[in-house]
Amino acid sequence: MIEIDGEQARVEPTQPGGGKADRPWWPPLGEGLRPRQPVVVIAGGFGSGKSELALNLCMGLQAGGERVRLVDLDIVKPFFRSRQARGFLAAAGIGLVAPEGELFHSDLPIVLPEIRSLLRQPDGVVVIDVGGDTAGSRVLSSLGDAFVSGGYELLVVLNTSRPFTRDVRGLVEMVRGIAAAGGLVPTGLVANTHLLGETRLELVLEGLGAVRETGALLGIPVRMLACSEKLARRLQPQAVGCPVLELRRVLREERLGGEWPLADEED
Amino acid sequence: MGCIMIFSGSEAAAKPRKLLMKGAEAIGEAAIRAGAKAYFCYPITPQTEVAEYLARRMPEVGGVFLQGESELAVANMLFGAAATGARVFTSTSSPGFSLMAEAMSYIAGAELPVVFINVMRCGPGLGGVLAAQSDYWQATRNSGHGDYRCPVLAPSSVQEAAELTLAAFELADRYRNPVIVLADGMIGQMMEPVMLEGLAAGEPVEKPWATQGCGGREPVVVKSLYLDPQVLERMNRRLAEKYAKMQTDEVQVELYNVRERHDLVVVAYGTMARICKTAIDRLGKEGLQVGLVRPITLFPFPVDAVHSAARHSAAGVVTVELSQGQMIDDVNLALGELGRSAFFGRSGGMVPTPDEVTRVFRDLVKRGAA
Repeated sequence: MIEIDGEQARVEPTQPGGGKADRPWWPPLGEGLRPRQPVVVIAGGFGSGKSELALNLCMGLQAGGERVRLVDLDIVKPFFRSRQARGFLAAAGIGLVAPEGELFHSDLPIVLPEIRSLLRQPDGVVVIDVGGDTAGSRVLSSLGDAFVSGGYELLVVLNTSRPFTRDVRGLVEMVRGIAAAGGLVPTGLVANTHLLGETRLELVLEGLGAVRETGALLGIPVRMLACSEKLARRLQPQAVGCPVLELRRVLREERLGGEWPLADEED
Repeated sequence: MGCIMIFSGSEAAAKPRKLLMKGAEAIGEAAIRAGAKAYFCYPITPQTEVAEYLARRMPEVGGVFLQGESELAVANMLFGAAATGARVFTSTSSPGFSLMAEAMSYIAGAELPVVFINVMRCGPGLGGVLAAQSDYWQATRNSGHGDYRCPVLAPSSVQEAAELTLAAFELADRYRNPVIVLADGMIGQMMEPVMLEGLAAGEPVEKPWATQGCGGREPVVVKSLYLDPQVLERMNRRLAEKYAKMQTDEVQVELYNVRERHDLVVVAYGTMARICKTAIDRLGKEGLQVGLVRPITLFPFPVDAVHSAARHSAAGVVTVELSQGQMIDDVNLALGELGRSAFFGRSGGMVPTPDEVTRVFRDLVKRGAA
């Protein structure tokens, strides 16, 4: 037998140039991307990219000098949650609100009591990452009374590469389902179509088109387009028509082979 | 948001393209494409997404989705439904799989084609909900009582989970036998781009034994009860011949960086094999030749591939698992006169990093050289 040691979930912060850093460097959020309210709820289907978006927003806000807290309210699955970036967040000085001890790894319906007080008195910006689909958003309804009317943004993240949100019909159903389950009105849509490392620019734009159509049908603005830095550099701002959030991968699963799941993107 | 909407229907969905899917969803979709007509389930982490996916998809394709009151009920529903000749399956995770064991033995005894998906979590007992590979013995020997075995297919990517699910239905029909797809929690939960176009059922297998109404022919009986010992022994011998044929004809294995000579040979499956590949690539850059034998079928086990790769390995063989050492038994049987395998494993939901595995392999190579 061989003696071994190691951490279960490892997140490697990176900085420009690919070096590892104790305190990850992040660009501040551009004006159009900054939250309009002190509470930002990130909802969406499984695999839409909610957690990456939440982590990137937090990092960008922190870089801009905001006091930020991230609430991980994913109570529907025990894998690939924003809380896995706890070391990364701690290094960046961002507070994480998630169950501790062995309950950290559970998928039990735990809503920590401090979340209510944070919603009522945010003291900075509070980013809430909820679980996927309508099942994941249901937890919001239990906190309904704590949300200050008009004091939050509810962003629904949409990825048209997922099986049930491939078309406008599916996207509309997803947004409506999340609104109904959570009991909150979505204030914006986030176009985040991706196939992990196999994402191409055409796919991103095709997804944006479908999300725009969805927003027009539902009367909800497209709040932002999210895509990797590399692809964002190739976008023509006038063709996009909304702010672009350049995503940098945080929840990288390097255990599963090479750079999985973020392989080299198309140049 | 309360208005009526009319959709044209000619959406992107019609175009063949890759989708981003969880392993659990890809398994569900592959089963539909294999022509599965009924899915019975009882939810359990980390594979409830199979049920969630099929609760939507099965009605769309005219199939049956039924959540039973327990895994025991589910496994017995499978027996009844499979006896009609329809393609049927379930998915569960370790504790649920144990509960299905009794009926699985009956299904094997009655020679019914049923696909069981076990997305393993860590045990024993209720254990935890994180990924593990600790049901290897249970799956590859037999989960229930009696002299039976089942082919066991172990995917290491979401794409392969879909492909092996389809293959499981084909094998089940061909051998009139239950087939297990043994995935770990990582495969069930992680998302990867998947191409499902082209995944389709093969030629239908004749099922004269199926209870579909006599229609003028002699009645057939599907059972596992044989009170005459001579008859039962004959049946057991026939089953043994079937399992022997699987061992000859159905072995699937991936060889990664396997060459004439190695500094070390690794045997690993599923998620663990992917982590090993990363470590092997890193060591390759250091000039070390480490080969990987990845069993895709755990039963039948790729005995020859392991033995052949191990023949020219300076530091011998190491078996790597997300358990405390189960597949190592099969590796040692395969090695025979070549000696015994070293072992490295994590368990309880702990998944090693490539750094950790690289260090282990490097140490083993050093010891082999010494």
